[in-house]
Amino acid sequence: MKKFVYYLLGLLLAILLAAYLLDYTFTAFYTNSKPRNKIALAYTGTAQEYDVIFLGSSRANNHFVPQLFIDRGLTAYNFGMSGSRLEESALLLQLLLAKGAKIKSLIVEVDLNINSNGYSEGTRANFYPYLNQSDLISSYYKNIADFDKLYYLPFYRYLKYDAKIGMRELFFTVAKRPSKNLQHYGFYPLKNTGKDMKYDLSKHYPKKNRAYETIKKICSENHIRLIAVTTPMCENVKNIAYFEEVVQLYPEVHNFEDVVTDEDCFSSCGHMNEKGAKVFTQFLLDKFFK
Amino acid sequence: MFFNSLSFAIFLPIVFFLYWFVFNSSKKAQNTLLIIASYYFYSCWDWRFLFLLVFSTGLDYFTALKIENSRSKAERKTWFWISVGVNLGFLGVFKYYDFFAVSFSKLIEGFGMQANPFLLNLVLPVGISFYTFHGLSYIIDIYKERIRAERNFIDYALFVSYFPLLVAGPIERATHLLPQVKVKRSFDYQQAKEGIHQILWGLVKKIVIADSCAQYANAVFDNYESMNSLSLVLGAVYFAFQIYGDFSGYSDIALGTSKLFGINLLKNFDYPYFSRDIAEFWRRWHISLSSWFRDYLYIPLGGSQGGTWMKIRNTFIIFLVSGFWHGANWTFLAWGFLNALYFLPLLLSNKNRTHTGNIEGVSFIQGMKLIPQIGLTFALTCLAWIFFRARTITDAFGYIKRMFSNWQFKPQYFNIERYNFELVLMLVLFVGFEWFNRYKIEPISGKYSYPKICLAIIVLLLFGVYSEYKSFIYFQF
Repeated sequence: MKKFVYYLLGLLLAILLAAYLLDYTFTAFYTNSKPRNKIALAYTGTAQEYDVIFLGSSRANNHFVPQLFIDRGLTAYNFGMSGSRLEESALLLQLLLAKGAKIKSLIVEVDLNINSNGYSEGTRANFYPYLNQSDLISSYYKNIADFDKLYYLPFYRYLKYDAKIGMRELFFTVAKRPSKNLQHYGFYPLKNTGKDMKYDLSKHYPKKNRAYETIKKICSENHIRLIAVTTPMCENVKNIAYFEEVVQLYPEVHNFEDVVTDEDCFSSCGHMNEKGAKVFTQFLLDKFFK
Repeated sequence: MFFNSLSFAIFLPIVFFLYWFVFNSSKKAQNTLLIIASYYFYSCWDWRFLFLLVFSTGLDYFTALKIENSRSKAERKTWFWISVGVNLGFLGVFKYYDFFAVSFSKLIEGFGMQANPFLLNLVLPVGISFYTFHGLSYIIDIYKERIRAERNFIDYALFVSYFPLLVAGPIERATHLLPQVKVKRSFDYQQAKEGIHQILWGLVKKIVIADSCAQYANAVFDNYESMNSLSLVLGAVYFAFQIYGDFSGYSDIALGTSKLFGINLLKNFDYPYFSRDIAEFWRRWHISLSSWFRDYLYIPLGGSQGGTWMKIRNTFIIFLVSGFWHGANWTFLAWGFLNALYFLPLLLSNKNRTHTGNIEGVSFIQGMKLIPQIGLTFALTCLAWIFFRARTITDAFGYIKRMFSNWQFKPQYFNIERYNFELVLMLVLFVGFEWFNRYKIEPISGKYSYPKICLAIIVLLLFGVYSEYKSFIYFQF
């Protein structure tokens, strides 16, 4: 039995050693390789000066076209992330500033994402490779349920979020496979035109959002011009009054829900296609950056 | 509590420690601990069904004694049928009642009549098909006077409820397991080490092979109408490896866990995808169930004795019942039916026992001859798996029809953001690894076991699927 106990201890040691080595290797590759997502870009990239950046969910990622700003001689980047919530946007903004980025204006999409104070598990995962290296990230997430496991257990974060930061993603990172996330200055154009589009907002209620408050505070402290906007949806929306409720809750938000209405400008009810995105971005450009 | 869960990783060492260090004074103490652990393990699924398990155990224990002590044949028969009736009654109510009620109402509606069937909508108690078959084999063996009834309730209860086999087998026989639980077990280092190796290999099969394949197979089967022929073929292959990795992985963990307690369970899989014909496949796949049906259904029905029609009838009965055992759905019946069709030509031409035993060291020419045999058997198996996996019979036929009519073989990008061919290399490596270890229970033991353990750990960490937790498929049966 004694021999078997030693055998088990050896096995346990082998598991811990393998986990530690893999954790070290993964983190090293994610930190030192060419970035494949916007969080990696913010963390590993060099400090940049931006005239304007964009933040928000897919409704920012698919709706703001930095190229139109660049054509006017402004530096711009779309840091909107599909599936993300404002919680991740707030951290991304802090990460950019901590890395020395200079930002003059921030356009943030504030609409469906203030329906709750939620977070995106998938987007969060992209911060975790840097959890042990960045005090900013670790302190931001120190109160989440499994922080101790993510922080102290070697390789746990890469196991738990294998679909996002596991072996497959590492392989693409090492192989320097280009990511669509970072093309077109972060803008992801949708190509198709939707049919029979509709959306139900009857169960959506805008609520005070902690992450948005954080973004406002950061902008104020760093003298960043904050432009909060709602972005267009298709016409067949149940409870379109939701957008007015957003403005009632946060009067500084510009309600641009109805700026684009043509059906052929939408890929789905909640997302404009490239044509709609260009129309909308041009509108923003003309309104705020004359 | 799943075998691949954190709670089991805590539960198992605790029971192991108590078993060998605290309750190791006698067989009675060891068995009592295992019974408590097994009932706790089962109650973690749903404590309410523990009563059903205890009742079923008590019933079989009691009726077995009654059968053995009966003074007349009629009394013997009565007790036997009471046990069989109640056991199958539970199975029927929980597993099959709603299926029959719905099927009957559809039949009535087919004749233009209105039917509103009364449905029970019961949750299926986990492992009921397995422990019912344990009990049935025991009762039949007593009735046929093959074994003596067990007097010690604890020993009998452990035979039925032993936690490594409780929820998904292997379906044990009293002749194999009871003699082991009737003696005090002493610790055997070699056996325990092999147990660990088997658990490790089972985890690789489940977490790396089965769960990876599941992502791709689900993407194909759930959207088969938009898939091309290549994706549909690969989808069936992925599901074949998913179910193999899942169930044989589970069985390996069960067998390995049991070895830690000094008890050997029946082998359930023997590299089935290296079978040279369907008859051999069924001697290598879910062996404990196949042999159960052979011994308690096929042979009593006359087996392969008698005339041609008798052989055909018995073959269809055994495969249809086997299909139906898996679940109350026409898809499982079709799967059983198709396998009967595959098997029948071999039986009728007396070639069903052509390939027995392992494929020994083969020359290049012999190997070339084997490839089409193994390939054809695997292809037929995959075709049958489509029925097993599809939600409905209509979906299964739709899937097959599209597979043979689309004729597009381009790489396709799935909604899970992966290409259809991405897993092929992993499966080729897995098949190669199994091929070179096909004489062994698991590939880790033997020469170079330490490097192989390290490799298994690294493969588990690197290629395992942890973000999408998947239960074992056979737990639903």
